[in-house]
Amino acid sequence: MAQLGRRLRDMVAAEVPKLASAAEYFFKLGVEGKRFRPMVLLLMSSSLTMVLPSAAAATSDEKNWRHHKLAEITEMIHVASLLHDDVLDHADTRRGIASLNFIMGNKLAVLAGDFLLARAAFSLSTLQNDEVVGLMSKVLEHLVAGEVMQWTVDAEKSSSMDYYLQKTFYKTASLIANSCKCIAILAGHPKEVAALAFDYGRHLGLAYQLVDDLLDFTGTKASLGKPALSDLREGIATAPVLYALEEHPALQELIDRKFKDPGDVDSALKMVLASSGIRKTKELAREHASKAADAVAGFPPTTSEKASLCRRALTELTEQVITRSNRGRMCCEAVNLSARFN
Amino acid sequence: MAATVWRRALPRILSLSPTITATPAAIQSHPWAADCPRKLLPLAARWDSRRFVQLEPKIDVDNKVDPFGLVAEEMAQLGRRLRDMVAAEVPKLASAAEYFFKLGVEGKRFRPMVLLLMSSSLTMVLPSAAAAAATSDEKNWRHHKLAEITEMIHVASLLHDDVLDHADTRRGIASLNFIMGNKLAVLAGDFLLARAAFSLSTLQNDEVVGLMSKVLEHLVAGEVMQWTVDAEKSSSMDYYLQKTFYKTASLIANSCKCIAILAGHPKEVAALAFDYGRHLGLAYQLVDDLLDFTGTKASLGKPALSDLREGIATAPVLYALEEHPALQELIDRKFKDPGDVDSALKMVLASSGIRKTKELAREHASKAADAVAAFPPTASDKASLCRRALTELTEQVITRSK
Repeated sequence: MAQLGRRLRDMVAAEVPKLASAAEYFFKLGVEGKRFRPMVLLLMSSSLTMVLPSAAAATSDEKNWRHHKLAEITEMIHVASLLHDDVLDHADTRRGIASLNFIMGNKLAVLAGDFLLARAAFSLSTLQNDEVVGLMSKVLEHLVAGEVMQWTVDAEKSSSMDYYLQKTFYKTASLIANSCKCIAILAGHPKEVAALAFDYGRHLGLAYQLVDDLLDFTGTKASLGKPALSDLREGIATAPVLYALEEHPALQELIDRKFKDPGDVDSALKMVLASSGIRKTKELAREHASKAADAVAGFPPTTSEKASLCRRALTELTEQVITRSNRGRMCCEAVNLSARFN
Repeated sequence: MAATVWRRALPRILSLSPTITATPAAIQSHPWAADCPRKLLPLAARWDSRRFVQLEPKIDVDNKVDPFGLVAEEMAQLGRRLRDMVAAEVPKLASAAEYFFKLGVEGKRFRPMVLLLMSSSLTMVLPSAAAAAATSDEKNWRHHKLAEITEMIHVASLLHDDVLDHADTRRGIASLNFIMGNKLAVLAGDFLLARAAFSLSTLQNDEVVGLMSKVLEHLVAGEVMQWTVDAEKSSSMDYYLQKTFYKTASLIANSCKCIAILAGHPKEVAALAFDYGRHLGLAYQLVDDLLDFTGTKASLGKPALSDLREGIATAPVLYALEEHPALQELIDRKFKDPGDVDSALKMVLASSGIRKTKELAREHASKAADAVAAFPPTASDKASLCRRALTELTEQVITRSK
């Protein structure tokens, strides 16, 4: 992971220093949100790489550089989308420090995001796999679609759990799901295994986001790194609210006006806490986490110890995703494991 | 008498061809050399001017090749395909992206036109005629796709640039940002980039994907160069030309190169295609800079002196600086003080700035024409016609008034 960080920093070094520093901004140690996605991908890489009929050893280095490159690409796409999202949300803090926009303005944020996307596209071309390029472009499109879904939501859709879950898939899970799938594809696995890798990423991503939504109601500002109830304050109705709506129809009005009136945020909070919203969200998250664990269990058998260990780590992650108490942070064994092997 | 006419006419005819040099050997081996000279004149009368225009000693107005007309049908198809392609699950986004593809605001689709002409100029030159026929459709769809991709990248960069420049008019109508805000502009741009990336993956050519990503990076670099320029760099012609390459020429240069690559040409030919695009793009931008001083608001679709008003010193100003050192101060403060724009305009018009810019543009246009002239020989009429169109474009780029 440390190597990945260094490589990312080198990669974004550009002819124009200002651009490099803007893009590097998010790769600085301490603000990279523990690099959740690359961690998952590197674990996935080690979980699957060793399972090849023959000549595995000879080409494992070759597969490894491709996997590492994909992890970098994933992170670049992720950071680019954060930079562009910030243009929209006027978020003044993200990842614990003032967001780039707040410091440098929209201009540089858009450019830095484009720069990262260009680099990601270039790196993708070096992988020499059209399916992978196609999947990662699809991810980009999903990120955009998800953001637009969130932004253009009308009153009817904003109370729909299906719309919310679809949007959440686009915004959060698609990136990790499709990059997991790419790992499997690059390792030469058949499409059934690639589908399992996709499922793992998808369920893990959804579980992660559901817990994120939950913690927005139950966490505190200091540990979160961003103000609690931020979704409410931004007018977004997440899973706990949508579940609470079933028991408190009064929430409908507040949702429709995006919690804009004074006192709306507090009323909504009260109603959510007085409902089974939190509990149901946690159950749904557990359900997805468990499906993710099932996906790993469905991987083809392996005799490699390293692969077994990494699969255990991936399964461990599905637990950690549920039990964490910090939004956007993951402190778990898996991090140590991946540090040892990568 | 006929023989004399023949001896004089044929070398001149051959010298007009972009691909044949009128050496004695070439004349001897030319198919017409075997014909009785007497047949030449009646034959000339019967020739269809559309097919044999190069027989005219001078390209007069009536026989001019119309580059846009040559590819009009293909362009219409391209427009339709672009509109279909951007249809997305989220209608709001599709309409935003489509915004720039609407007829009438697409800026004559300069880039796709060049690429389609380039495609027809090069496609037919393959060793085995049979192979060419069998795979020409295959090459064609790739070329058309590349033209679409180029346009998508271009429009995406316009959308993102608008976030920065607060341009309130672009291409003759209120820019997207002015209507819908930064939010949608950024998203629509990203959407187009995603689509372009996906289309690139369908071309199944890693070199092409790499080149087009490089273009994206150049677009960003060019914009940053423009935006972060300090006093010293802003008076540098080299810096300005490098920035202009990144912002304007790189896209067309590299996509021309991709056309050649996709058609299976060796890298020398790809390099020529690149050169054509590069010189044409630079000529285009230089004339653009020039027209900012000499054009009018109605015909330009954007306010004249917009570069000055945005604090950008373009080629005419940089040339004028050599004769009017007083311009340095104005450049340094980006023409911000009241009256600066007018003073700068006066000094530029009183200098050889406009003339020198036009000369530089002509130089690049001429180099672009040279690149086409150096393409490998072709037996295809269509290819010859399209090469003439490409050459014609290098003229039009200079003589246009908007």
